[in-house]
This record gives sequence, structure tokens and C-alpha cells, in this order.
Amino acid sequence: MIYHPPHISWLEVEIPGAPETALQIAPKTIRDVEAILRYATEKSLVIQVWGGGTHSGYGNPPPPHIVMSMERLADVEVWEPDDLTIVVGAGARIETIEAMLAERNQSLALPERPGGATVGGVIAAGVSGLRRGRLYGTRERVLEATMVTGDGRLIRSGGRVVKNVTGYDLHRLAVGAFGSLGVIISVCLKLWPTPPGSATVLVDDLEQASEIVRPLAVLEVDGRLMVYLQGTEAEIEAQTGRLGGKWTPGFDWPADPTGAWQWSLRVPPASTSEAITRLPGGWSHVAIHGVGEIRIASDSQDGAEGLRSWAEASGGQLVMTKGDPSIFDPWGAPPPGLALQERLISEFDPARIINPGRLPGGV
Amino acid sequence: MTLVTDLRAVLGDDDVMEEPVELHLYSKDASLMRGRPACVVFPRDAAEVAEVVKLGEAHGVPIVARGAGTGLAAGASPTEGGIVVVTTAMNAIDIDPENRTAWVGAGVINLDLSKAALPYGLHFAPDPSSQSACTIGGNVANNSGGPHCLAEGSTTSHVLGMEVVLAGGEIAILGGQAPDPPGLDLKGLIVGSEGTLGVVTRVLVRLLPIEPDVRTLLMSFDTVEDAAQTVSDVIAAGLVPAALEMMDKRMCEVVENWLEAGLPIESEAILLTEVVGETDGVISQAGVISKIAARNHATDIEIAGTAKDRALLWKARKSAFGAIAQLAPDYYLHDAVVPRTRLVETMKAVYAIADRYGLVMANVFHAGDGNLHPLIAFDASDEKINAMVHQAGEEIVAACLRVGGALSGEHGIGIEKRDLMRSNFSDLDLDAQARLKEVFDPGGVFNPRKVLPMGSRCFDFGGVRREVPEGVWV
Repeated sequence: MIYHPPHISWLEVEIPGAPETALQIAPKTIRDVEAILRYATEKSLVIQVWGGGTHSGYGNPPPPHIVMSMERLADVEVWEPDDLTIVVGAGARIETIEAMLAERNQSLALPERPGGATVGGVIAAGVSGLRRGRLYGTRERVLEATMVTGDGRLIRSGGRVVKNVTGYDLHRLAVGAFGSLGVIISVCLKLWPTPPGSATVLVDDLEQASEIVRPLAVLEVDGRLMVYLQGTEAEIEAQTGRLGGKWTPGFDWPADPTGAWQWSLRVPPASTSEAITRLPGGWSHVAIHGVGEIRIASDSQDGAEGLRSWAEASGGQLVMTKGDPSIFDPWGAPPPGLALQERLISEFDPARIINPGRLPGGV
Repeated sequence: MTLVTDLRAVLGDDDVMEEPVELHLYSKDASLMRGRPACVVFPRDAAEVAEVVKLGEAHGVPIVARGAGTGLAAGASPTEGGIVVVTTAMNAIDIDPENRTAWVGAGVINLDLSKAALPYGLHFAPDPSSQSACTIGGNVANNSGGPHCLAEGSTTSHVLGMEVVLAGGEIAILGGQAPDPPGLDLKGLIVGSEGTLGVVTRVLVRLLPIEPDVRTLLMSFDTVEDAAQTVSDVIAAGLVPAALEMMDKRMCEVVENWLEAGLPIESEAILLTEVVGETDGVISQAGVISKIAARNHATDIEIAGTAKDRALLWKARKSAFGAIAQLAPDYYLHDAVVPRTRLVETMKAVYAIADRYGLVMANVFHAGDGNLHPLIAFDASDEKINAMVHQAGEEIVAACLRVGGALSGEHGIGIEKRDLMRSNFSDLDLDAQARLKEVFDPGGVFNPRKVLPMGSRCFDFGGVRREVPEGVWV
């Protein structure tokens, strides 16, 4: 059944792709979010926080009573191009923000092919861009976060400066926490400048790629190996010359592979090549060399168990990012410190209403 | 059984100290605040630390972790007494060049790690000025930065995992070489927590390849404003140099007087900047920076010609705090950060405050990050001056917060800035942080009364203030 509490149902919207059995709402203000969360805590209603719906396949969540879209909390509060920082609402779409930033040659350095994903969504899911080996991951972008806890408290952590050790880093803890500490309302992000020169170079092997000490990215996409370069135009000319091989100006970022089942394989960086050789036949992949992240899609889960055993024995994980959690355990071996994680979440979301079951170990 | 007897039963006699001279030696870090430890211990591994933690809990005494004691915020001063856990015996380095990582004992000295990584063409990016003395454990506790964190981020961006002793003496290994370990990022939370959540015994760090080429530029200016504007303009031009540091005239004078590094002491301010990367890139970046400096009336721009010249310039920069002893026996240093667009006005305000109190102030700081280090040289034995210095310090912090800044960029909160936390955060923000502390440390043994001001944990849902007895960590 769908709940229609009168004082929040006026925020009702249609959220394409969201579970239809749930009340679909989109708060307009922080006060709305506080009221919704307090009400849900009081009534023990499960809330699924919705960004672009691009990472809704993680974990094994129970069906939500309420789907809360952040689409109306998507404003750019402050963009300080000269400080390389931006404060933006969680519901802002990455493409929209990147298009704006590109006018001043700046970038969020979040996922390059977000497919409708929001800033809040990629932070909550802890998903990084393909440039993470050089520009660091999503966690290192977040300078400040404003959140509303499960029981409706408005809290802020961090600050709008690029370097900060004032208090505990709750804002970084929110990265990959799937909202378990609170619903992210807005964040201050550190930006990267985009240099004038760029190139994508097709290379034969990793040895050839290693000619460049710190490339922007080295990606392997279904057997093709590409080196991505950025810098001054003189630098790009020299580097492409040294690398040899076929190159094109600009970046052609691969989209994440899609299929009935999708996976994120995470291994120590030096094991990336071996990980690719261990993929069952027909599984398409985008691998980030030097990082150890391989994004995979497949038609079935056959072979996933073996891959997971190998990954875990090598100090990594195989995480299911889309598929059927009743057939295959989405996370695998639970992480250490699970009891501590449980107690932490209880302090922020005592009734366990925000995205329950999304984190490993059933947290 | 007494605490010391119990500790000796676990660690042996030699690794537990309680002589007055030893206790005095470990009674403070590099801040001005002194405590009185019950004893000082030198555990060799996590298992020994776990026993110390259990004994601390059983005897109800605080546990204060300490590396080299170079901290400036009293984070390692045992101001509530208890056991000082010195990490220096945990000093193994295990480098994995293939994965560009290393497991490092908490007591390893920062510079020793980069020296050990050098044969593999790798280095550890965070390079605090105290790097020849400070430990990796201390870097983790304070999320330390350093001049070269401008492009690569502070310690937290370079910690992939850790071995930590938690409450109850539980030893946990958090994180690892693989990216994005699932679940809440507990290790990330422990970085920068100043020993208040547990004792870190080993750290898995990221090592970066050493860049093929480098250019170090020394630029002189007739006004601090011109130098500060150059910093803002470099960032606005979309350049992120490896380092971008400022020193004012007084600081140059004291450093030059001691080191004779060739700093231009006639200039009101200098900028020291470094660009790294492929040769073509560093040449063009150095050119762009030079042009920006010239536009802002730089009186001289020099590019360090040799590795030796370059090393000397960095020695000059990193020796600044030591050299200040020529001016007065003590110094008081703030570490606030401001948006880089507000540097010029903030510097003006900071100088005005020192002038108003007639205090001797020198500035050396991470300009590219907006991380100020206004340093007041004084004699702490004079009570009146002491009070004035602290008053000026608070005004400097207030000026930084007014333009949207934060209390500390890299030195930590400790006790020194603890009571200023209320000017940076709301009651609910502090309550959230205090809840987190409680979850990790229900017994309140890990470095009590640091970071969070008294009464931080005072909100129940709905915002009702709880009664808090004086002196109780709630």
C-alpha cells in the first residue's frame, strides 16, 4: 500500500524508474527534508533517497515506503572559480554542473559519463571518475557536507576551504555511506582546472603506457588499451610523440558497461591485468590501470562466485552493482569493524529509515 | 597492583618509564601546554598497545599517543595525566613497489619513508616542515599537510589502510590496497582524529612516482598584497603548482641570518613555488607563473638552477619555525585557512591585529592552500604579554572565520583551538562529532578533552539541553 501522510503528500512528484508502490516525493527545502525524516522515524517508514537512479542496484534493500527525490535541491549556491570550489545542492546533475564549469575550464572530476547521476548520488554511492588515479577519487573532492540525519537533525561538517582539519571528517565519511548517516543536502567540492591540451592515445601494452610517469588515466576497454593525457599543448605534443601509436585530440571516455548484471571488481592496483584475464568469457569491462578498479557487465552471474573468491583472496572485492540480490550476495565478505559501523549509524539514523540494507553486512 | 607494575608485566621493565625526568620530558609536545603523565610506555606492536589500552581502561586512566611530539596544538600533551604511548619503537617500513604502497609503523619518521621509497622512484607526498622529525602516526593523527600538499592533498588522501587499536584493546585492520573498500570508511574518520578514537599502530600509505622534472621559482615583491594577489591569480589561471608558499620580510630576515640561503631580505614578501611533471609542462607552467608575478609587480623572479639550490630554498622554507628563536624564546602560531580569493584582505587584517597589540609577527605559510601561519614571537614567562598574544590569536582566527575560513588547516585542534570550535560549528554539528567520539570510545580513555569543547554532547533529539556535570566527558 502507498502511504499518503497529508502534511508531506503535497510534495508528491512522479519519479521515473522509482518503485511504483512507494510514495514519491521531492522536498523543496531543508525544512521539508527534516519534517519528512522526523515523520518517517516516528512511523518507521523506509525511505529510499533518489538522485538520478543510476546507483539504485547496490545492496539488498527492502522495498521503500517513500522514495525521496532530491531533484528540487539542485541549486548552485556558490561557485568560486578563482578559488576552485563550488557549493551545490545534492540533487544537481553532474552533466549540468560540468557544462557550467567548462566555461571556465574547470571540472568536478567526478564520473565522466554520469548518465543522469547527481552529485549527491555519486557521493552517497562512493563512485569515482575514471581520472581518479591522477586527480584522486570522489572522497577527496568533498570539502564540506550539509546533511539531515535520519532523526531530522541538520548537521554540517568540514568547510569551504581546500585544506581543513577542524573536527572529525563526517563529510568524508558520508562518501560511500549510502545516506546511512544522513541525507546529503549540499556539498562544497574542490574543482580541478582543465588544462588546454588533451589527447587519447591507443597503445599496445602497459610497458608502452609506462613511458608517461603520471598520465591522467590508463584504461583498458574490452581489449583496447588507452592512455589519456592532459597538460599544456607543448606537453601533449611531446608526450604523444614519445608514446607513439595512434592518437586523437580530446577525450573519448568509455561509458560503464551495461547488462543484466553489473559489477565493480576492486583489486590491488598491480593485479588489474590479472583480474581482466580472470573475467569469464563475454563479460565486458572498463579497467582503470594503476587503481585496481574494473567495471563489468554480464548476461548472467555464472562465474561470479569464482571471481569473487579470487578477488577476496587477493585483498579485494567483487561488488554487485546491478542484479538480483536474492540470487547473488551483493557485497561478499563483510568488512571489519561492522559492530562499530552499526553503532555509528544508530547515532545518526536510530530508526534505520534511510536506505536500509544498502551497505555490506546488511547494515 | 599499580598501573606501572601491571604495564611492566606486559611490556617489560625497560619499556615503561616513570622517573621524574622522563615524565617531564614527555609532559608536552611542541605546544605551550604541559601535562603530568603517570608513566611513559614504548610498545613494539599492536598486541602490546592493545594490552596498554586494556590496562588504561581497567585503571581508568587516559591514553595519549605520541610520535615525535612536534604537534603544535597540544594533541600529544598528557594534560589529563595517564599513559603516554610513544610509538617510536614501531618503525618498520615494508614497501610494495608494484602497487606503489607501503605498510609503515606509526613511529616511522616522515622523511625516512620517502628516503626508503627513493630507490623505487617513489615518495610519500605529505611533507610537513617538521618532516625530518615528525612521525607518520602523528601525520595521520593530525591529517598533516606540508608545502607539497597543494596538488596532492593532505595525509588523508594518502592513507589506504591502517592497523588500529580500538576501545577494549580490539585490533582492527581497516582498508587495504584495493580501492573503495565497502562499508563506512572508518579509517578515513580516524585520520585527523588526533588520537581520540584509538591508537594507530601501522599505516598503509600510497606512494607517488617521482616526477621526471621540476622547476622551483623564487619571486620577490615590494608588498605582501602583491604576493597574495599573485597567489590568487595563479589559482584563478587554472594552475595547481606542486607548492606555492609565502614568506614575509621578517621571516626572510631571521631565516637568512641563520642559513644564508640567498633569500632577498630587502623584499617585503617572497613566493616560493614549484611545478613538477614532464619537462615541456614544467617549462610552460613556470613561464605562465612568471608572467602572472610580473603583472603583479614582482621585483625579481629567479628559477633555481641546480638541485642543490632548490634543496637550499626548501631548507630555508622548512627551517622558518626553528629560526624564529632568534627573536624570542617562544612562539604562538595559528593555522587558520581562508578561501584563496580572500587572501589579500585577510593578510591585511592579520597584520593590523599584530600592529594594534605591538606584537612581533612573522608570516610563512601555504599560500596556495589559503593556509595561514601567522607566528607571534614572544616571551611566555611574561604573563601580561602572554594574555595579549592569546587575545591577538583569537582575533586573527575570528578574522579568518569572518571571510568563510576554518580553524585549522593542518596542525589540528588539540586543546589549543578546542574552545574555538564553537565559533566554527553549531551545537548540533558538535553534538554529531561528540556522538561519533562516544561510539569509538565509550570509556573516554583515548586522549580525553581534546578536539571537542566541554559539553559538546548536549543535544537530544529536539534540541533539549542536557545537564552536564562539570569535568565529565559526556
